[in-house]
Amino acid sequence: MTAATRPTSRWPSSRRVPPSTMLGIAGLAAFAVVLEVLPRLLQLPSNVLPPLSSILSALAGELRTVAFWQAVQDTVVQWALGLSIAVAAGASVGVLIGSVPVLRRATASTIEFLRPIPSVALVPLAVLLFGTQLRSALLLIIYASFWQVLVQTMYGVVDVDPVADQTARSYGLGRWARVRYVVWPTAMPYLATGVRLAASVALILAITAELVIGSPGLGQEINAAQSGGATALAYGLILVTGIFGLVVNVGVRTLERRVLSWHVSVRGEVTQ
Amino acid sequence: MLDVRGLNKIYASKDRQVEALRNLTFTVAPGELVCLVGPSGCGKTTLLKCLAGLLDPTAGDVLVEGKPVSGPPPGMAVVFQEYGRSLFPWMTVAQNVELPLRVKKMPRARRTELVTDALAAVGLADTPSAYPWQLSGGMQQRVAIARAVAYEPHVMLMDEPFAAVDAQTRADLEDLIRAIWERTGVTTLFVTHDIDEAVYLGQRVIVLSSSPTVVQEDLTIDLPDHRDQLETRALPRFTELRTHVYAEIRAAKHAVLSAAQR
Repeated sequence: MTAATRPTSRWPSSRRVPPSTMLGIAGLAAFAVVLEVLPRLLQLPSNVLPPLSSILSALAGELRTVAFWQAVQDTVVQWALGLSIAVAAGASVGVLIGSVPVLRRATASTIEFLRPIPSVALVPLAVLLFGTQLRSALLLIIYASFWQVLVQTMYGVVDVDPVADQTARSYGLGRWARVRYVVWPTAMPYLATGVRLAASVALILAITAELVIGSPGLGQEINAAQSGGATALAYGLILVTGIFGLVVNVGVRTLERRVLSWHVSVRGEVTQ
Repeated sequence: MLDVRGLNKIYASKDRQVEALRNLTFTVAPGELVCLVGPSGCGKTTLLKCLAGLLDPTAGDVLVEGKPVSGPPPGMAVVFQEYGRSLFPWMTVAQNVELPLRVKKMPRARRTELVTDALAAVGLADTPSAYPWQLSGGMQQRVAIARAVAYEPHVMLMDEPFAAVDAQTRADLEDLIRAIWERTGVTTLFVTHDIDEAVYLGQRVIVLSSSPTVVQEDLTIDLPDHRDQLETRALPRFTELRTHVYAEIRAAKHAVLSAAQR
């Protein structure tokens, strides 16, 4: 991978530097070759690291089963549901706490205490409460992603420009109108960052819950494949979760660019 | 129209008190265009925020249309110096101008009419769908002025609106303010640190002292009503007036310096 990316940094003025997508594909191809060649070269047993070709063929077989697509659907539903609840809750609580200084000071230390608790540490609690149902996975997902959204939204709300706020007040915008037209758009870029972080964290926790608690989904399938000795399939499923993560990230970034076209980080040109 | 009586503002922190405004009394009659000028750091912005209902005075009263100000008065529009921060970057030019009208729950047809007229009045009829950050500084301040005009205010407050634009743009914008004022007859209080600008624009110029601020002089500008950047500024009377105001401000500064040395 490094071999392929190096030319850009070493000869930045060179005109024939391949575009970054080409480099990306080249890097990916190199990675695939390593995955294929390394297990053969080191003669690794196929239950440790099978070559890529056997991983892919195991996965191809799996793609034709109903169980696989059911698992994908379960994971996607858990992820989407948990993320949506966390974003809705985090954004509204964030706007509320962020815009009331007394609340902000009162909750700051509690948030700083609760936030670093790893969601995985709540597994026993989740199992105790909901067993292996969907809800115990949701609890973990929501807990982990809620803080990402909350903290970012709070930063965003506090970032309101005093001149913008005074302008709004002088033109008769009441508290609610200011939240809608000034505070909310100001917090948007922060919220977008929060959502992007939360989307990845939610995926991690969805797979973790499936692996550890055994709630239905891709994680459970990985577990089943691994304990059933189908190592190639287990790796194949792991690749699927990776692709899912990639799709999520690209999706959120695209959304971000569209919603925040006015923001300094997105808008291209500035005439000044 | 605008009545300021014994206005006093003291910023108090734990162990220190700063008296920004000592005792300000002046009035602005309906339809008048008055400039407030004073040395830098004389509390012009503090005064303006008190007038706009954005800051509570320590003592004294501000009355707008006979009513004491306790929050932003409904018939008042403010144009801030920092146009870049006063316009919302997430809204287009037209949306920025329209927002206060939307919040007022004005019918859509009337809103569109007011926005179109206001943008035409400031010479931006063809850029309603641009974003403020795509425009030059002078054009951005025009948008802020259009927002004030569309609001149909009874009183317009301007806080050093042209301090951050270049000299040629500033001259154009000064004439724009005169033109809008002549057309709409809106009572205007224009705060500036620029003596020439104050004399050129105002019917009256109120000179403030250094902080703690009092009214140093209330001067009627007896220049012809039609102002022109070349002709008016070349008049001997213009030079006399600006020299007079300049001397007043210098005297105000020296009074503070000698008081400090004593």
